[in-house]
Formats: sequence, C-alpha cells, structure tokens
Amino acid sequence: MAKKVIEIQGLNFYYPDSTHALKNIALDIFEGESVGVIGPNGAGKSTLLLHLNGILRGDNHIKLFDMEISDKALPLIRKKVGVVFQDPNNQLFMPTVFDDVAFGPLSMGLSKDEVNRAVNEALREVDMLDCVNRSSHHLSSGQKKRVSLATVLSMRPDILVLDEPSSDLDPKHRRDLIAILKRLSATKIIATHDLDLVLEVCSRVVLLNAGRVVVTAAAMEVFSNRQLLEENDLGIPIALCKAG
Amino acid sequence: MEHAFFDEYSHSDSVIHRLEPRVKILAFLLCILFIAFATGYNLKIFVPYSITVISLILLSKVPVAFIFKRVVSLLPFILMVTIFLPFIQSVEGGEKVSWGALTLPVSYNGIRLFVSVVMKSCLSVMLTTLLMVSTDFASLLKALEKLRVPSLLIMIISFMYRYVFVLEDELMKMRQAKECRSVGGSQWFHLKAQANMLGVLFLRAYERAEKVYLAMCSRGFDGHARSIYDSKIKTRDMLFLVFLAVILTLIKLYG
Repeated sequence: MAKKVIEIQGLNFYYPDSTHALKNIALDIFEGESVGVIGPNGAGKSTLLLHLNGILRGDNHIKLFDMEISDKALPLIRKKVGVVFQDPNNQLFMPTVFDDVAFGPLSMGLSKDEVNRAVNEALREVDMLDCVNRSSHHLSSGQKKRVSLATVLSMRPDILVLDEPSSDLDPKHRRDLIAILKRLSATKIIATHDLDLVLEVCSRVVLLNAGRVVVTAAAMEVFSNRQLLEENDLGIPIALCKAG
Repeated sequence: MEHAFFDEYSHSDSVIHRLEPRVKILAFLLCILFIAFATGYNLKIFVPYSITVISLILLSKVPVAFIFKRVVSLLPFILMVTIFLPFIQSVEGGEKVSWGALTLPVSYNGIRLFVSVVMKSCLSVMLTTLLMVSTDFASLLKALEKLRVPSLLIMIISFMYRYVFVLEDELMKMRQAKECRSVGGSQWFHLKAQANMLGVLFLRAYERAEKVYLAMCSRGFDGHARSIYDSKIKTRDMLFLVFLAVILTLIKLYG
C-alpha cells in the first residue's frame, strides 16, 4: 500500500466573518495518486486546498508527510507542496516571466545554473519558452495560466495542488495541460469544475458540498452516479454522456 | 489590454539602449548631479548642458517629441514651485512693477534664478525620462538592486509596476460593466456609483495584496525576493561613462 502523504482528520475552518467553510473534513491522500476535488461554487474547494501547505491552518488536524504543520516545518512543506492559485494575477507577482518561474527555485537556494535549467524545463513543459523575458501583464490569460503552472513545476514538488488549472485555457492548451498532468509523477490534487479533466487525470474524487465531504470514491464510481452528481449541482462529464 | 505606458521604447536598439543598466543609471545620475549643481546665476552654462542632453536623446533614437511631452506634463509642477522666485527681494539690481497702488519688486537675479531652476528641472526630467524609456523596467530594478538600493524599496516599486496595470484593468472592466447597465439615471446617481467603484477597487487591491502574499509564501518567500542578475559591464560601457564625465567636467570648467 502506498504511503500516506496527507492525512486530514476532523478539520474545521471558519473565515473571519464566521462562515463555517470546512466542516469536519476527513481525507487521506496517498503518494503518487491524483485526486479531483469537485463540488458546486462555494463548496470549500479552494479553502481546502489552502490548508494543504499551511497557508490556512484551520484547527490544525492535518499531517503532511507525517509532520504536524508548524512554523518550523513550513519551509520544508512549501518545498514539497506546490500550490497554483486560481487567479494567475495573484500567482505571477514578479516583473518578468523568468523572474516569476525562478522565484521558487531561488528561494530554495539553488545555484544559478540549476535555476536556469529548472526555469527552462518548466517553461518548455507548458510551451511558454518564447515568452521567458516578457512581462506577465502583457500575456493573455491563458498564457498567464500556463506560466502559473510553470512557477510551481520549476520547484519540482512532491505534491502538486492546482486550483482550476484549466479555466481560461484554449482547447489545445487544455489538452496539453491534461497531457502534462498525466505525465507528472507527483501526487496531484486538483480542484475544478472541469469534470472531464478529472475523469482523464484523476483516479479518485472527493465531492465537497457546503464545506462537507459528501463522498470520497473512485472517479468512475462517482461519475456514473448521475443522481449524486445532480444532487450536488454537478453533472455527468461530457465524455461519459456520449458513451452512455 | 496592451499597456504601453513606459515600456513603449524600451525594446528598441541604440547605443543608449545597449548600455549596461548599472552604468546607465550612474551616468545619468552623474549628468543630473552636474546640472543640479550648476551655479544659479550663470545661464550660459545651460546651452552646453542642453546640447549634451539632446545628443543623448538623439543617440537613443527615442523621439525627442515624446520626451518633451513628458516634460510639458510636469512643467506645471515645476512652475508652481518656481513662479515666486523673480519677486523675492534682492539687494542688487531690480525694478519695481506697479499697477496703481500695487508695487511688485522684480529682481534680475530672481529672474535668472527662475530660468536656471526651470532649466535644471526640465533637463533632469528629460534625463530621467530617457533612462526610464530606454531601459526595460525589470532590468532597471535589478540594476538598482545591484547598486545596493534597499531591497524593500525595490520590491515596492516592482509590485507597483506589476499591479498598477492589473488595477487599471479592474477599474476599466468595472467601468465597462457599469456603462453596460447604465440607462439614464441622474448625474448624482452615477457619481455615487463611481465613488462606490473606487471603494470596491480599494478593497480588491487590499485583498489581492493578501492573496499575492500567500502565493509568495507558497513558493518559499522568506522576506527576500531573489533574482538573477546576468548582465556584465563591458569596456564600452566604461568608455561611455568616462567620456560623459570628461564632457561634463569640461562644461563645468569652461562653461
């Protein structure tokens, strides 16, 4: 049996306005697997993701790689867990694409050559090598999205946490993204409304609604249950509609 | 959503563009210092200084008109500060202008000082503008960092540069969304909506700052933004700096 990399037991989280965003979440993530986090708007998907590298702490019922999240463990955790935010304008904060992709590797203390290599590889992976010296604000939203992914790929994390990775992408680059995600051996946790992406990339699905885990099950099991999906404001992935 | 702003000419090619950013900053700073420290009452010295500045602009192939426009936009501020200089009482030389009971003393030295301060300001603005438009902003920041400008300051400027466009876009989109739903209504109603938009913009900027900070933490930010600085100072950069210094000294000595 694969190693448990993330262990969440009875996690609750309240926003400052006392919205109860996560209610008693229990979830285990195993090494190397791909998990899709799905659910309607406002279900708590993004909030859950922010707990996975200690940005939000909740009531601290999370263990990453058998470590409790503590201030001391944070640098190590953030090296191992790469989070890509949904809005690329938040993810990309440096003046040029190169600086942004180099930010993670540089803060990890890599040498100049290693940083250059990591940046090149990450940008090639997302097909953005041509734009290496451009300013982020001159890119289209799809391009920004791809660079956002590269900013984390360049850190070679063990766990990749993605919030809506396929929004804003044109069909070609969405296909490329799916290919990249399938190729990467890292553990992946993907929150999205793009159920077809989940169907292709993820083996397991966590269905959230109103801050609770409704079900955690194999992707096919969830996606074949039309009633469950519709009860939770979702639907059958298009790929399965055609088939059935 | 292509914002030109100050990057418009930063990617063309010229002697000035090719200068190493650190050397360029130092050279322009030297120029500005020489001009700023020119003696107030000797106006002739501004002729060679102006020629030097104009030659730098011509060398950079940035349209002179573009630079002048920048100067004109700053001129009101310069005038606001200097306009009273001619009327300050001075011992030597001067006339009195009177309209009926009102008398205003005007001193010749005051006028000279006025012209000289305006010239100094204009030339300095021209040089700074040229520096900004002939260097790509990211390398300018990196060069400043290399020159030991405090990194906190660099980070603030860098974020400003990154997010001023994002905020501008947000405001523009809010405006457009408002226009799309604006059918009639009183001036006052629209004014109130505009004011609300500013408030929303402020809140969004505030929240974005928090999220950006979180994104930085996620990638291991520990209080230092690191970047790689690649460019090296070449002989021709040093030659340029020395050449400029010689010219400036000559003007200072014989001007």
